[in-house]
Amino acid sequence: MNSSYVWWAVAIYIIVSLIIAFLSRPGKQNNMVSYFLGDRKLGGIVSALSYSATTYSAFMLVGLAGLTYSGGVGALGFELIYLMGVSLIAFFGPRFWVVGKKYGYVTPSEMLGDRYQDKRVAIIVAITSCLFLIPYSAVQLTGVGYLLSGLTNNEITFSTGVLIATIMAILFSYIAGIRSVAWTDSLQAVFMIITSIIVVLVLINGLGGFNGFFQTLETEHPASLAVPGNGFFNIFTFIGMTLPWMFFSLSNPQVSQRLFMPSSLKNLKIMILGFMVFGLVYTLVAIFWGFSATIMFPNLDNVDMATPLILSSDLVPPILGVIVMVGIMAAAISTIDSILLTLASVFAKDVYGNLRERPSDRMQLQIGKFVIPVIAIIAYLFAEMELSIIVLLSVASSAGLIIAVPAIFGTFFWKRGTAAGVLASVGITGGIVILLEAFQWKPLGLASGVWGILLSTLIFIGVSLATKAPEEKAEEFLTTVKIALQKERKK
Amino acid sequence: MKRNEKVYAVIITSLILSAFVVPYTLLTNVERWYGSFLFWTVLTVIVIGINYLLIKEWGGE
Repeated sequence: MNSSYVWWAVAIYIIVSLIIAFLSRPGKQNNMVSYFLGDRKLGGIVSALSYSATTYSAFMLVGLAGLTYSGGVGALGFELIYLMGVSLIAFFGPRFWVVGKKYGYVTPSEMLGDRYQDKRVAIIVAITSCLFLIPYSAVQLTGVGYLLSGLTNNEITFSTGVLIATIMAILFSYIAGIRSVAWTDSLQAVFMIITSIIVVLVLINGLGGFNGFFQTLETEHPASLAVPGNGFFNIFTFIGMTLPWMFFSLSNPQVSQRLFMPSSLKNLKIMILGFMVFGLVYTLVAIFWGFSATIMFPNLDNVDMATPLILSSDLVPPILGVIVMVGIMAAAISTIDSILLTLASVFAKDVYGNLRERPSDRMQLQIGKFVIPVIAIIAYLFAEMELSIIVLLSVASSAGLIIAVPAIFGTFFWKRGTAAGVLASVGITGGIVILLEAFQWKPLGLASGVWGILLSTLIFIGVSLATKAPEEKAEEFLTTVKIALQKERKK
Repeated sequence: MKRNEKVYAVIITSLILSAFVVPYTLLTNVERWYGSFLFWTVLTVIVIGINYLLIKEWGGE
């Protein structure tokens, strides 16, 4: 691909999104709620688009397309079961939202700390988030590096790609906090979905239309249309991959924090439904993309090459290829900037805020703003070093973050949950998940994520029953939720 | 949890369970587009519809 096209496309993308970022900046963001939650006043459509852009990273059009290439339709099941799991936020969303407003929570870990009446809960959950999400961001950065260098035959080097992505992520999150993130995310979400749909239409058309496309798959690659198919997605692999992702909407703070932000329950509703529709379309796009690679390049050694090969194939006009490449880059950056912002708020609120005697809101905001570029630079260095431990932690992130899920369930649905239960379940299971991933152990054939959810649930329940629950707080908290929800639903 | 919510939770959980069971049992030999591909897609549309029913009243005007 012509590298001057690529440079132009990247430059236009940067300019347009920076303009949007600056335009998103009304008034002063001089407190934590304003900077990190947009004053809890986000509209429904922006929330939905930004939620989509944050959730869907470069993984979709590179990784999921590659999974489809390797294992066939099982990749669709994996991703759609995740999407069905987002139904969780139809239950948890309004609860997060009302307690956020009532108690003024900025981060999900802050909520856990308060509900279980123990600062250490907030701290351990906050640290777990950083431990897994910084490496996850680093891997996203490397994705941009590979994409740009791969498509320009190294005329834009890996390091330049990583550097561009890091700087953009810092700018988008720094300019106006969540406002600039939400608005640039929205722009990027629209861009991602439109460009990738066009490519899929071009591909299906070029490969014989819908009927011809599936006929080729049915006759030449029949195993790709069933599970376990060629054996890649045996039932254990499938469950091991899918289960941790099913809880993604609760376990990942960069998306669960979003539940605090919409201005009303009505806008929260638009966010959930809008995201689900976006997710279904984008998933199908990525799957068709992978199937197209199966048809066009049946004998690839390296599945990561599926997407670059499609984009530089004869079927896709070069200019469209370049535009879509920018779309994939946008997908990565819109995920990283949200993670940066969430981790900065988590660090300022839950780590710094809990270690100080009387932390002022102003000081926390300053710490948060200071931490944004620091986290980005750590992720950048990780990306440049390409350490195997980073890749490991990134892969382990969905399994590693799932360990806080029992505590989140307990927050709203189990009065007997205790701080000791959370500390034990998160601490012990976190260590176990890392060990399982590090040594690639699969006891009884089950993957780390399955063990993560099983063990953390058992430990949380067991230790909670053996210790004293913060009964007064639990009672007050759950009554508040009940009354507030009744009131809101009548509105 | 409201009673109503519990019913929805049971329905959605059963549908998600079927997303694991059906493709690995009934559809495992159906190597056609109307096999697992269609099943998972339609199931997701149904789940989205159920979510709509569950939350459509929120902040209703």
